[in-house]
Amino acid sequence: MKKLSILLLTVVLTTVFVWVGFAAGQKNPAEYKIAWFAPIPHPYFDAVKKGIEAWEKDTGIEVKKVIGQEWTQKNENENVEALAALGYKAFSIYPADPTAANGLYEELVEHGIYVVNFGAKTTEPTPASFYVGTDIRQAALDAAEKLCELLGYRGNILNVLEIIEDVNTIVRDKAIKEVVAKYPDVHIIGEVADIKSVEEGMEKIQNALAAQIEEIDGVICTGFTITVAATIILSEFHETQEKYIRFVGIDDDPSVLKAIREGLIDTTVAQNPWGTGYISVEVCKRLLDGWTPKPDGYSVYAGHVFVTKRNIDTYFDELVNLTMDIGEGLENKNMNPPKE
Amino acid sequence: MHVKKHNRQLTLSERREDFVKVGFLKSLLVHPEAGITIAVVILLIVFSVASPSFLTAYNIFNVARNVASYAFIAIAQALVIVGGGMNLSVGAIGGLAVVTTGYFIDVQGFSPAIAVIIALLVGLAAGAFNGVIITKIGINSFVATLATLFVFTGIVYGITKGYPYINIPKSFTIIGRKGIWGLPYLFWLMVVALGFIFYLFNFRRFGRWLLATGGSKEATRVSGVNVDRIILLSHVLSGLFAAIAGVLWVSRMGSAQPATGQDWLIISFAIAIIGGTALSGGSISALGLLMGSVIIVLIRNGLILLGVNIYFEQTYLGLIILLAVTVDRIRAFYYQRAGI
Repeated sequence: MKKLSILLLTVVLTTVFVWVGFAAGQKNPAEYKIAWFAPIPHPYFDAVKKGIEAWEKDTGIEVKKVIGQEWTQKNENENVEALAALGYKAFSIYPADPTAANGLYEELVEHGIYVVNFGAKTTEPTPASFYVGTDIRQAALDAAEKLCELLGYRGNILNVLEIIEDVNTIVRDKAIKEVVAKYPDVHIIGEVADIKSVEEGMEKIQNALAAQIEEIDGVICTGFTITVAATIILSEFHETQEKYIRFVGIDDDPSVLKAIREGLIDTTVAQNPWGTGYISVEVCKRLLDGWTPKPDGYSVYAGHVFVTKRNIDTYFDELVNLTMDIGEGLENKNMNPPKE
Repeated sequence: MHVKKHNRQLTLSERREDFVKVGFLKSLLVHPEAGITIAVVILLIVFSVASPSFLTAYNIFNVARNVASYAFIAIAQALVIVGGGMNLSVGAIGGLAVVTTGYFIDVQGFSPAIAVIIALLVGLAAGAFNGVIITKIGINSFVATLATLFVFTGIVYGITKGYPYINIPKSFTIIGRKGIWGLPYLFWLMVVALGFIFYLFNFRRFGRWLLATGGSKEATRVSGVNVDRIILLSHVLSGLFAAIAGVLWVSRMGSAQPATGQDWLIISFAIAIIGGTALSGGSISALGLLMGSVIIVLIRNGLILLGVNIYFEQTYLGLIILLAVTVDRIRAFYYQRAGI
């Protein structure tokens, strides 16, 4: 009888300890105060938001999602400061200005708030704990490699760059030139840049085509706006001219996907905004749980895939699978679990 | 006296009088558009000689189409500048028309003709809204249209969430992409629009009253003109032309991009003012608006054709604009010295 009582007591105490321990480690979903901020309504941010909504469904944790009124750091500061005042403890933010955003982050971190960059990196050193998004350089390298392949490693390229004051533009430009330098029969014969709108992009790309219509064999675009603009110009060009100009763009705007489906352009690099959203808030949660960044774990690359006519209906599944793999690899590559 | 005459709108009878008095060549100097026209001719010669691609059919079509697109935007701005006001929401109204067209064609399944009519009505209503705020509430046009710029842009993003409407029928792109007699339909539409401006300000009482309002609001009011109604109507017309520009962009792009119009503001002022529309009001010229559009498009086109360094492009653009304006100052100087 005495032995049975001791056994029962042991079972009860073990259960209580395990339960208490579990309860202490796992917060109530309502205790996580995570916020997400994007500068303006945009298909890219909408896709990121969908990834966050999927994460909310999987975890039962609600994320406050806010979209700004204009793409300026000032507007971002105002919105994020208001959210911080409401008690949010971890932020997933797209930095409106890669340098100026660090000022906002410094203030947040001083108040014990975690910041995770999504979609774009801030200038380093940065108070942000992580960056979740595309490996800009790798995507540009892959895009250039793909265009060279489409050209049969022989031909002339028009290199279309977006905003020249963006440091990422320089990274992309260098990556493209690095790849082209590998192939002696591939040349960049024209460059257009400093494009802030689709209208401006259309005008500049068409001017460049007019200048070297016989010589240009391929066009590479490494930004959203210029890809949409080039898609419109090349779609029109291919409907009226016999010559076919090879094309590699970036992002999966509906108008770009439509042109790929209709065979008017070749391919685009689809970033993984869904995965970027999903992983960025998972990282926020882990930071709130006490996980810490590994020394070389700052960048969590969300991956990218090429969209062609062949995989246009299935590429999203590829991105979801990629996201789950990246999520599983966080502990190995980017974050240390909390110490017991 | 001469300077005064030079700085204001010349009547047709005054132009005829000048021609008879001083002969054709000298009478050219009288006209404010002469300077910008001379600058355009110089640029045409320089680019034709410097780039063999400049006079190709593809490039001429391309340049003519861009000129037309800019001219509509400039007309929308010039119509309120001439009355002594300004419309900062020109691009936002254009964006509203773009989204309206796309929404009613793509989402509601309306025929393009009906969608266009609704879009134009939206433009008229937006212009009327601006006009009512300015004339009935008495708010300065800068402040009023700055506020509505945000209102209209917010509506655009609220409706679209940043996504474009892509299911625009191919037949709808004929106006924006095809042409007749070697020039795009857009160009011929622009000719009609500029003809309307010429007629309005030379043969209609409303046009003369609007010029008078821009010259001196109080003097016009004292002469018995309902100045508020004139200003209101100028904003309605401005909204209409901004909407026409928006609809034509949809036709050209083959999709309705919600970001359309965001960079129209500076260009609308630049073309209107370079084309001789006095920023203080009281002066407008259809030929000047055409030449203002031509010079901006020519410079951008020529810089790319000549392959200038992309990082210095804006510098060249600014310098050539300064050169064009200087040519006009030289014209004015000789005009005064000739004592015409």
